[in-house]
Amino acid sequence: MSRRTRAIALGVAVLLVSIVVGLLVGPVHISPGAALRWLISFGDQPSGMSEQQAAILANLRLPRVIVAGLVGASLSASGAAYQAVFRNPLADPYLLGAAAGAGLGATIAVAFGPSSAFAITVPLAAFIGAVAGVGMAYGLGRSSLGGRSATSLILGGIAVASFLTAVQTFIQQQNAETLRQVYSWILGRLGTTGWDDARVALPSVMVAVATLWLVRRLLDVIEVGDLEAESLGLNVGRLRLVVVVAASLATAAAVSVAGLIGFVGIIVPHTVRLLAGSSYRQVLPLSVLFGAAFLILVDVVARTAVAPAEIPIGVITAFVGAPFFVLALRRGGRRVA
Amino acid sequence: MTTLPDRNGHASALDVEGLGVRLGGHEILRDVTFDVTAGSWVCAIGPNGAGKTTLLHAVAGLVPFQGRVGLWGRELGAYPRRERARLVALVTQQPVIPEGVTVHDYVLLGRTPHLGMLGTERRSDLAAVERALQRLDLVWAAERRLDTLSGGELQRVVLARALAQEAPLLLLDEPTTGLDLGHQVRVLELVDELRREHGLTVLSTMHDLTLAGRFADRFALLSQGRLVSKGSRADVLDAAVIAEHFGASVRVIGDGDIGWAVVPVSERGGS
Amino acid sequence: MIHRLIGGAAAVLLLASCGEATIPQGPSTEEPSSTAPFPVTIEAANGEVTIAQRPRRIVSLSPTSTEMLFAIGAGDQVEAVDDQSNHPSDAPVTDLSGFEPNVEAIASYGPDLVVYSTEPGDLDSALDGLGIPALQQPAAAVLHDVYEQLEELGVATGNVSEAEVVVDRMRAEIRSIAASIEPPSEPVTYYHELDDTYYSVTSSTFIGQLYSLVGLRNIADEAKGAGGGYPQLSAEYIVDADPDLIFLADTKCCGQSPRTVARRPGWARIAAVENGGVIPLDDDVASRWGPRVVDYLRRIAEAVADVLEAKAA
Repeated sequence: MSRRTRAIALGVAVLLVSIVVGLLVGPVHISPGAALRWLISFGDQPSGMSEQQAAILANLRLPRVIVAGLVGASLSASGAAYQAVFRNPLADPYLLGAAAGAGLGATIAVAFGPSSAFAITVPLAAFIGAVAGVGMAYGLGRSSLGGRSATSLILGGIAVASFLTAVQTFIQQQNAETLRQVYSWILGRLGTTGWDDARVALPSVMVAVATLWLVRRLLDVIEVGDLEAESLGLNVGRLRLVVVVAASLATAAAVSVAGLIGFVGIIVPHTVRLLAGSSYRQVLPLSVLFGAAFLILVDVVARTAVAPAEIPIGVITAFVGAPFFVLALRRGGRRVA
Repeated sequence: MTTLPDRNGHASALDVEGLGVRLGGHEILRDVTFDVTAGSWVCAIGPNGAGKTTLLHAVAGLVPFQGRVGLWGRELGAYPRRERARLVALVTQQPVIPEGVTVHDYVLLGRTPHLGMLGTERRSDLAAVERALQRLDLVWAAERRLDTLSGGELQRVVLARALAQEAPLLLLDEPTTGLDLGHQVRVLELVDELRREHGLTVLSTMHDLTLAGRFADRFALLSQGRLVSKGSRADVLDAAVIAEHFGASVRVIGDGDIGWAVVPVSERGGS
Repeated sequence: MIHRLIGGAAAVLLLASCGEATIPQGPSTEEPSSTAPFPVTIEAANGEVTIAQRPRRIVSLSPTSTEMLFAIGAGDQVEAVDDQSNHPSDAPVTDLSGFEPNVEAIASYGPDLVVYSTEPGDLDSALDGLGIPALQQPAAAVLHDVYEQLEELGVATGNVSEAEVVVDRMRAEIRSIAASIEPPSEPVTYYHELDDTYYSVTSSTFIGQLYSLVGLRNIADEAKGAGGGYPQLSAEYIVDADPDLIFLADTKCCGQSPRTVARRPGWARIAAVENGGVIPLDDDVASRWGPRVVDYLRRIAEAVADVLEAKAA
């Protein structure tokens, strides 16, 4: 078995362990034995477990673990893919205005939509906003002098993000009662996750992550720069477009069910590179697997550290993420021009 | 390794006619016409800013151009992207060296035009990589990371990637940049050997006229975007021509016990 | 002479009902005897407040204070109220903001008294600079604060006896409501929801005390972080605690209702959800500490009675 295959097998194992941990640990104590028996018997309530506990496992913990895994995988894969096509170690899934667009969408839904429908309107508006934000950034970058080059897209993303954030701030100021709701959404949370969220996120995430997984070899090619990659026969513009579309879809789905969880798209790919080397042939799949495991475990901390209160998950990833930014900067600086 | 010296019955591997390139509002190349016989080595020379690098990029299909570029008698534009990449390998002046990548994986990138969009490498691809590594004496370095190699070793790695591409036309942009004298000669000798072994056609740019003169068959002198002279060494690398276009006084030393060389002569007299 | 006697009697009444006002020294006015003589000086939450004359153009920046003013009969003395003051419906609502008060806008109404509850930082000194008396009535911590604030407003607006009446009536009603509930052998549990991320209150908060009056036990009391009074609970914790009653104080802000609660993952089996014990409240009523506290308590007591009845059956 090659090193690469072994690393991926390890990733699968870690993911399975984290899923089990995610099911067993929570603010309400459920005996591990009973929980495992519940899992094995596909949801029949075993003895030693109350009806409430079975409901907690089936309707709260299991979907939450699944959604955490999907979100972690999305953000990590998107982050890794963006780092490749933009050749920038600090690229994260929110680069092209996805976060700003999602934030604006959520704010509009909270400020102007019917409050009885928030559970539907906010995620939908966030999704649309994320996709629209990226679309605007892409359009702006393309129409600029640099065309579809990495730099012009990044600059387009910055411009779009600034503009959308300004609009969001304005709307929030005019509707001060929305501030708290939007803020709590921005911090990222899985506290209200259920099967609906899992169902909504699953198709987009699977399609998008599968696409990125499939093009992982091409991400290696684009690492040598647009010019050389073109000379090797790669359609650089098309690859960049495919990656942007797939990553945006995954990110928009993640953001719509879990809010803005930051740093995952940086922490996971860089850790994977440190441990397993830089080829996207392993970095992409390992980012998916370890990204899912990472967020599942972070979510366990989020819901148990100050139980029964919840720490917004974005706060924990920020704590863990800050040192990683430093690391990424230092590694990026060593690149030979 | 397939060679195509007479594809479509053409003796010309590369056929450039009236080539013009405009970039950023400036005319970089104008009305350049020459051809490269299959199996030969043509070197484009000229002062800085003459457009040599742009010429290579245009031939590789990487910049838009006016005029005609033909590869083995067929229009460059008529080749689909990947097929073109199977015919033309470009070694840039300053190749991007991604850190963290191993030599083996980097050379494997040369097989990209032979793999489908989503395909993975097959045994034949890995064998091509092996051959390239052996030929360039890099087998010992296969699992080494690129950022741990010296300049000379890196140059061989880059060349290995181009070799793994198995393209019959090799474009080399300043292949001796950053190498010490010994390595410069070794690299060029290697290219020459490969050319003879595999029937490769080579189009290179070089600023060192002595080395250019010793290795290439024919020459094309570019100055300010125009092709001002082309032909054999005696025609193009002539003291008067050089003085006119390089603005430098030289003496061309013909065959003798030190071999052919272009030697700059000080204006103030003395050697 | 008679005037002094009446003034003195009024002063004694004043002392008896709220020990905060000092006896005014000025000559008594021609006002009816139910009015405390002006000027008055009040020891309020924001320090000493002196009101020279019976206010006729009051600006209220606090919805609770608005309700209190109208309850004690000072409604016709109110000139303008803030944009959140939606009760009573005939209150003169304006665009004024109680959260981000604009002093110039307030001054444009020519107020002779401004009543507010949150101090954003410089409101008091700004109004002081304009010579406008400002009275702060912060959020009540205990039920007693409600009565004190009503009486304070009575003194400030010259409606002392009306305020008395309101306070006495409230006391009596609350006593009777509390008495109407027979404490069961097993206390009825409840969860009070502030928003859709499951922020709750403990029984040490004002509203928590109201619940305690009718013998309810709060599931949030044992939660970690309950020290602050407003812990955030996790869905698991709530499901496991299985409360008999769920009070939704987020029907307006966050669109929650018994229907949305029943749809939450895992919540369908909670006792409150199964037995119709999810009680939607008006966000406003649940967040104010005015006279409608009595209505609120009555609603809670009804819910408790229903639960006890169902359990006995």
